[in-house]
Amino acid sequence: MAMDVVDYEIFGNEMQYVEVELDPGEAAVGEAGVMMYMQDGIQMDTIFGDGSAQQSGLFGKLLGAGKRLLTGESLFTTIYHNEGSGKRRVAFAAPYPGKIVPVDLSTVGGTLICQKDSFLAAAKGVSLGIAFQKKIGVGLFGGEGFIMQKLDGDGMAFIHAGGTLLEKTLAPGETLRVDTGCVVAFQPSVDFDIQYAGKIKTALFGGEGLFFATLTGPGKVWLQSLPLSRMADRIVMASRVVQGGGGKESTSLLGGIGLGSLLGDDD
Amino acid sequence: MSDAPISARYYPPSGDAHGHPALLRWEGGHLLVAPEDSEVLRIRAAALRAEARGFNHSQWAIAWPGEGGEHLLIVADAAIAPLRAVAPTLFAAGAHTQRRTKRHFGLGVTLLILLPLLLIAGIFLAVEPLADRVVEHIPPSIENQIGEAVLARTRLDSKLIEQGPAVDALQLIGKRLARPGENLRFYLAERSDINAFAAPGGVVVVYSGLMKQAGSAEEVAGVLAHEIAHVELRHSLRQIVRSAGLRVIVSALFGDYGALGGWGARLGELKFSRDAEREADARGLQRLAEARIDPQGMLRFFETLARSENKATSAVPTVFSTHPATAERIDSLRKALATPVPGTVERIAANWDAVRQALPDTKP
Repeated sequence: MAMDVVDYEIFGNEMQYVEVELDPGEAAVGEAGVMMYMQDGIQMDTIFGDGSAQQSGLFGKLLGAGKRLLTGESLFTTIYHNEGSGKRRVAFAAPYPGKIVPVDLSTVGGTLICQKDSFLAAAKGVSLGIAFQKKIGVGLFGGEGFIMQKLDGDGMAFIHAGGTLLEKTLAPGETLRVDTGCVVAFQPSVDFDIQYAGKIKTALFGGEGLFFATLTGPGKVWLQSLPLSRMADRIVMASRVVQGGGGKESTSLLGGIGLGSLLGDDD
Repeated sequence: MSDAPISARYYPPSGDAHGHPALLRWEGGHLLVAPEDSEVLRIRAAALRAEARGFNHSQWAIAWPGEGGEHLLIVADAAIAPLRAVAPTLFAAGAHTQRRTKRHFGLGVTLLILLPLLLIAGIFLAVEPLADRVVEHIPPSIENQIGEAVLARTRLDSKLIEQGPAVDALQLIGKRLARPGENLRFYLAERSDINAFAAPGGVVVVYSGLMKQAGSAEEVAGVLAHEIAHVELRHSLRQIVRSAGLRVIVSALFGDYGALGGWGARLGELKFSRDAEREADARGLQRLAEARIDPQGMLRFFETLARSENKATSAVPTVFSTHPATAERIDSLRKALATPVPGTVERIAANWDAVRQALPDTKP
C-alpha cells in the first residue's frame, strides 16, 4: 500500500496551521471541520469511513465508520485530492492553542497510538483506527478513556497537542510519570500504565487526581502541556454566567469541590 | 518457518534511547540479530527472555544479557509468529500475559455494562423493603393528615349526605364496630358505585350505592369491618407508600413524611394483594365477633356481589373489582363461619327498608 508522500509546512506559533502541498493526483485526509483553506484545483470529497485502502466493500466501510463513531468523531472524513495540473496546497488549522506535531509513521514503526481527539490530518492511505485500552485500570483512570486512536501506515500524519509540546524518546526501562490528561501520543512499544498517587490528601487537595500515568520506554512519547479539558475547566470556572464561578478565582480551600452544592438543599 | 527475516528494533546496552532497526532470523538454536548499521549478533536460545509489553501487551520485548548490560529487541506481535513457531517455550509466559489482559478487559467491559443494570434492579427491589420500613415509623399525625386528605378528596368528588335515616343507620353500625377508645368517623358519600373504604386516621367513607345494594345493616357492617381491617393492618399505608415512589420514600426515611399526605388522597384507587384481602377478611370477622354482629351478613353481601358479577352487568361493584377471586374468598369465609362463633349475636337496630328508601335513587 503506497502512501502519498506529502510536503508540508507549519505556520504560526501558538495557534498553528499546517499547509500540505499535494502533487497532481495526491490526496490528504482531514478530520471534519479542521480545513482552513485550499487552493483552486483541489477537490473536496466526503467519504464514509477513513478513506484508507484497507476498507473495501460496504461492510468494511460500515465497520470503519462505526469505529469512528465510537471515538466520538464524525462518521465521515473529508479527502482533499489535487485534480489540477500543478502542485496545490490545502491547510488544516489546529482547533485550540497548541502545537501541530508532524509524525512520519514510517520512522516510528508504522503505528502510533494517540489520544482520541488529537488527530488533525494525514496523507491518504494512513488508516485511522481505534484501539481499545485493554488495561481496565488505565482505561478507567488513565484520563484518556478506553478508546484510543490508532494510526497505521507509513505516511505523514499530523496530530495536535494543546499548549507546548514535549517530544521525548524514552530509553528501555526509562519511566516518566505524567498527569493523566497530558499524554497525546506514544509508540506501541511504550508501556502505558497508571499509578496511584499514594496520598488521599494529595488527591483531594493537590488537584492532580488520584492517579498518574506512567510511561515506560523504549519508545517515543508526545506530551501536551495543556489538555483542552483543563483549559475548558478554567474558562468555565472564570465565567460569570456559570453559577458558583463568581467571576473570580475561588480563594476558599474547599471552593473547588462544590461543597455548597453538596450540602445545599434543593429548594 | 519462512525464511523471511523479521523486522525489529534493537536497543544496545549503551543507553541509546532511539534504538536501531534490525532484522531477526532463527538459525540452529540461535537468534541472529542483524542491526542496520553494525555487525550481526548471534545469541543462544537459552540466554533469551521474552515478555509481552507495550500498549495492550501487543509488543514483545526480547532481552539477553551481554557485554555492558542488557540488550533489548522490540518486535510487534503481528511479526512474531515465525519465532513463536520455533521457540514456543520462550513466549509461553508472555502469551499468558496477553491472554490475561484480554480476559480482564472482557470481564471489565461486561461489569461496566452490568453494573448500571444491577443498580437499577437493586433500586427496584429495594422499594418494597424501604416502603415497609417507612410504614413502621409513620406517626399518628401523618395518619390523621392522610385521613383528612381522603376526606377532602371525597368531598370534592361527591356530595356527603349529612342527615337522614341512612346516616343514622351508618352511625349506629359505626358505634357497634368501633372498639372502646377507638376513634372512627363514618361518612356517607352520595355515589352510585358500590364502594367503601377506610383511611388511616379513622376516616371511613361509604358510598350510598353500597348501602342501597346491601340487604341489611349486618351486610354493611361486614364490609366495613373488612375495610377497617385493611387500615388496622396498615395495608393501605403500605400501598400508599409503595406507590409514592422512591423519592418520597427516601425523604420519609429521613423523617419528612409531608409528601406522603398528598399521596394518601388516592386511597380509593388502591389495590391489595390476595394475601392482604384474606388477612383483612379474617381480621374483619374477628371485629364482627367482638361487636357481636352476625358475621353471616358479610358472607351474604359477598354472595350478592358475586351474583351481580356473574350477571356480567356493567355495574361491576367497585369495592370488589379490585378484590381478586371473590368465589375463593366466599369459600374460605364459609369455612370460617361453619364453626359457630362463641357468644350471642345482637341485631343492629336499624329499619333497613326505611334506610334504602331514604337513599337517593342514583342508578349509574
